[in-house]
Amino acid sequence: MKRRQFLSSAAGTVVAGALAPYVMRGYAADAVNIGGLYPSTGSMAQIGQACVTAAKLAVEMVNNAGGIKSLGGAKLNLIVSDVQSDTTVTRTETDRLISGSKLSAIHGCYASALTLIASEVCERAKVPIITGSSTDQLNKGRHYTFTPFARASQFAKAQLQMAKLVGDKPRVAVIFENTAFGTATSNGLKELAPGEGVEIVMFEPYSAGFTDAGPLINKVKASGANALFSVSYLNDLILIVRTVKQVGLDVAINGGSGGFVIPDFYKNVGRLADGLLGVAHWNHDVNDAAQKVNAEYKKRTGEFIFEYAGGLVAQTFMLADALERAASADPQKVRDALAKLDASSGYAAMAPGGKVKFGPDGKNVYGHPVGVQWQNGDLVSVFPKEDARGKLLKT
Amino acid sequence: MRIGRRRVVVGALIALMLVLPLAVKSAFALDILIRILLFAFIGTAWNLLGGYAKQFSLGHSAFFGLGAYTSTLMQIDLGISPWIGMLAGGVAAMLASLPIGWLCFRLRGPYFTIATIAAAQVLMLIFLKLRDFAWGAEGTTIPNLGDAPLMMQFDGKLPYYYVVLLLLLVALAITAWIARSRLGFYLVALGEDQDAAEAVGIDVPRVKRDIYMLSAFLTAMAGTFYVQYIYFIDPQTAFNFSISIEAALVSIVGGVGTLLGPLIGTLLLETTSALLQSWLGNQAGVQVTVYSVILMAVILWRPTGIMGYLAEVRERRRLRQGIA
Amino acid sequence: MLEIVAQAVINGLLIGGIYALVSIGVTLIFGVVKIVNFAQGEFVMIGMYITFFLATQFGMDPLLSLLVSMPVLFVIGVLVQHFLIRRVLGLNDLPQIFLTFALSLLILNIALMLFSANYRTVHTAYSDEAFHFGGLYVPVAKLIAFGVAMLLSALLWAFLRATDLGKAMRAASQNRDVAQLMGINPNRVFAVALGIALALAGAAGSLLMPFYPAYPMVGQVFVLMAFVAVVLGTLGNVVGALVASLLMGIAESLGIQFIGADSGLIVVFLLLLATLALRPSGLAGGHTR
Repeated sequence: MKRRQFLSSAAGTVVAGALAPYVMRGYAADAVNIGGLYPSTGSMAQIGQACVTAAKLAVEMVNNAGGIKSLGGAKLNLIVSDVQSDTTVTRTETDRLISGSKLSAIHGCYASALTLIASEVCERAKVPIITGSSTDQLNKGRHYTFTPFARASQFAKAQLQMAKLVGDKPRVAVIFENTAFGTATSNGLKELAPGEGVEIVMFEPYSAGFTDAGPLINKVKASGANALFSVSYLNDLILIVRTVKQVGLDVAINGGSGGFVIPDFYKNVGRLADGLLGVAHWNHDVNDAAQKVNAEYKKRTGEFIFEYAGGLVAQTFMLADALERAASADPQKVRDALAKLDASSGYAAMAPGGKVKFGPDGKNVYGHPVGVQWQNGDLVSVFPKEDARGKLLKT
Repeated sequence: MRIGRRRVVVGALIALMLVLPLAVKSAFALDILIRILLFAFIGTAWNLLGGYAKQFSLGHSAFFGLGAYTSTLMQIDLGISPWIGMLAGGVAAMLASLPIGWLCFRLRGPYFTIATIAAAQVLMLIFLKLRDFAWGAEGTTIPNLGDAPLMMQFDGKLPYYYVVLLLLLVALAITAWIARSRLGFYLVALGEDQDAAEAVGIDVPRVKRDIYMLSAFLTAMAGTFYVQYIYFIDPQTAFNFSISIEAALVSIVGGVGTLLGPLIGTLLLETTSALLQSWLGNQAGVQVTVYSVILMAVILWRPTGIMGYLAEVRERRRLRQGIA
Repeated sequence: MLEIVAQAVINGLLIGGIYALVSIGVTLIFGVVKIVNFAQGEFVMIGMYITFFLATQFGMDPLLSLLVSMPVLFVIGVLVQHFLIRRVLGLNDLPQIFLTFALSLLILNIALMLFSANYRTVHTAYSDEAFHFGGLYVPVAKLIAFGVAMLLSALLWAFLRATDLGKAMRAASQNRDVAQLMGINPNRVFAVALGIALALAGAAGSLLMPFYPAYPMVGQVFVLMAFVAVVLGTLGNVVGALVASLLMGIAESLGIQFIGADSGLIVVFLLLLATLALRPSGLAGGHTR
């Protein structure tokens, strides 16, 4: 009797021991789904595709480092959806993603209109969304929307302060494209200028996608400005920068964010870009972690990783951090963990200032933009002093 | 009796449309259905002016946008329910159609079309500038009221489906009624030959004006629904040219000047689009390329649209059977 | 003050030359074939891409590439007429308008598939240069574009006036039936009209490349201006389209200068709407409604 008991219990132990790894792997194999919503087609396709590449890279990095350890090494599973640069599609795709796959969180969508819609859907579905989109509306009355990077109003302040870098009495001409991105940012400029001691001598919206920058630059010349702030998308910027050269206008150009901080800008205007200043919510020289990401991204695409794409890699790590602390894939628990995020090291803290902590309105209390300058085909952080990684070139 | 049979068929169709969403499980499919019904509604509204009266407008987005903005402004600034806002939007669009019509109806054919495009574009540009009054280029989201049927916000998709289905049925009923009325006769007459219609004593300017007002009213209601559905409004979305395009497109493919043309056209185009998207995925441009090839094929080989083709088939069968 | 106005007029005139090339094509097609070509902008885009590839692969200057883009687009025009337009002649407006509209969608999206949405630019020695005199400046690339545009317009005008084929085209545009009775083959005439119109669009594209980026949607920007110019100048009237384009360019530029930089489009549209209200058949009048 005893021997049989012993043998059966021994056999049981052996069997259990043999099966154990399979059981545990089965538990660990439950991947965590996160959604990535970007405009891979349509007018913002270039940017959207770059974002998707970065999103996939980020997930690989998290998984190669062991995944979510508190969930048994569960891997992140990125589900990408193309929002086609279209508002209706964003609405339906966000919905489809949430109802079709059990998502723990979402990140996206680059453009403010698209992000606002995705945020609305997420708020109602109670799924956390994290985004680099700078529109201030994202921090009004929401509980599931998190914005770890600088807000539109902060960009404006930074741009104004940078104007004083190139001259003592900056007389700034502000031109901006007349849709959401341009009007939001430029409004901040108008409000904050007096406080920063900057005189705005021209404040003019222009038709996005115009055929000729000549009349506009004419006006800039007539205004007697010595600095030009242009809040524009890429195609307009190309025209503006070239026309300024043609007119022979001597102004310090600060191109803000948007089309200014992507590799394509340099590809299209070449040397004209060198020395031009801009503002970004993330840059690849923010810290060593960012440079590592940049190196890997460059290997895959041949270009440096631009502002939004790099930011979303950090966001992926913030999500991983939240999942780690929540020890659950449940969106509500992830949301609560995200709200308590306090990162100051590692990839999750890749941000100007190196710290991320969310306030009650989803804003990062340490969030601020970084001033950048084109130098030899690359973007170098030059402002504020704590974030400068290179010298400011005087032109 | 042929008429009795038609009633049965219509009844069956309506019943089908009523229960369809209950059988559909995926939210994505429901989205497609809602989209189909919405554009069938917009197309039916357009069809009154563009199909029957052959006044080919590509500026209906003007009314869509006006409807969307009216109800949103009333909701956010005055706290008034979008249900009322929807009707108010319709009235606003009707009023707008008067000066726009006065301007554009002075022309015919492609002149008229280009003028309507211009009018709609001007409205978008105006709303892009209205920063203090209507949020300008940045637009706004509608307040998150959760489940608030009285404010046209619902939990889940099903209620949205029934709302837009109701709108479509109303538009179809109106179209059917008009088609059989004297107004309908006038519309078709002026669509065939405006000068001849005038010669026979039809008050062409008045007929055009009246049908334009009706078409505008209905289109505006679609605008309100749309904002409530995607939770967001801005000038580029509300006054988007693609809305004007699709309104006319579905009618052409389905058959202009027919009752069910727009609905059939929408069904074909939207399901083709959805299928293409799932087969070919999202590589830039592939989907719309195939879409436009199909479109061109329809235009080249069956310019009277699907309903036109069906009518021809029926006519041929009738002739073959020797019935006059 | 005078200087500002003068500079605005110069800017407007130069870009008006490009609008002219596009709008002349549209008005020619409408006058002769009685169809509004909604796809005209996409042919400009094709011209731009042809020039882009010739410049980047072979280092060919955009001006030289005119010798390639214009003939290529002429042939495309003939093909479009033969395979597409011919089939919808005689039908009413709706299928005609939608055919060219579907064509426009098709070409735009094929371009999107092949080239992606990225902006492509060509940098020539004169891309960023300008002539300076008085306090005014004239960008070199735009001046060249304007000059060539005017030259091509003049050549077209001479063709229509002086050659048999040109006269046949004018006859067919005025009265198709009588023209046919006189022995003019309408299909041949239409094919030539389409060919010329598209060749002009292609020329506009090539001339734009030194100072404007190419991307699939670029045609839409120019075609809108072209349409307004065509209506303003009276549909079918080539000289009218030219004059209207130049006027529109100047109006847009002055509007930007004195009203607001985002008002260019509104000024142009208001000009259109005003014309429609006061003189519906356009500045040249004459054509029946």
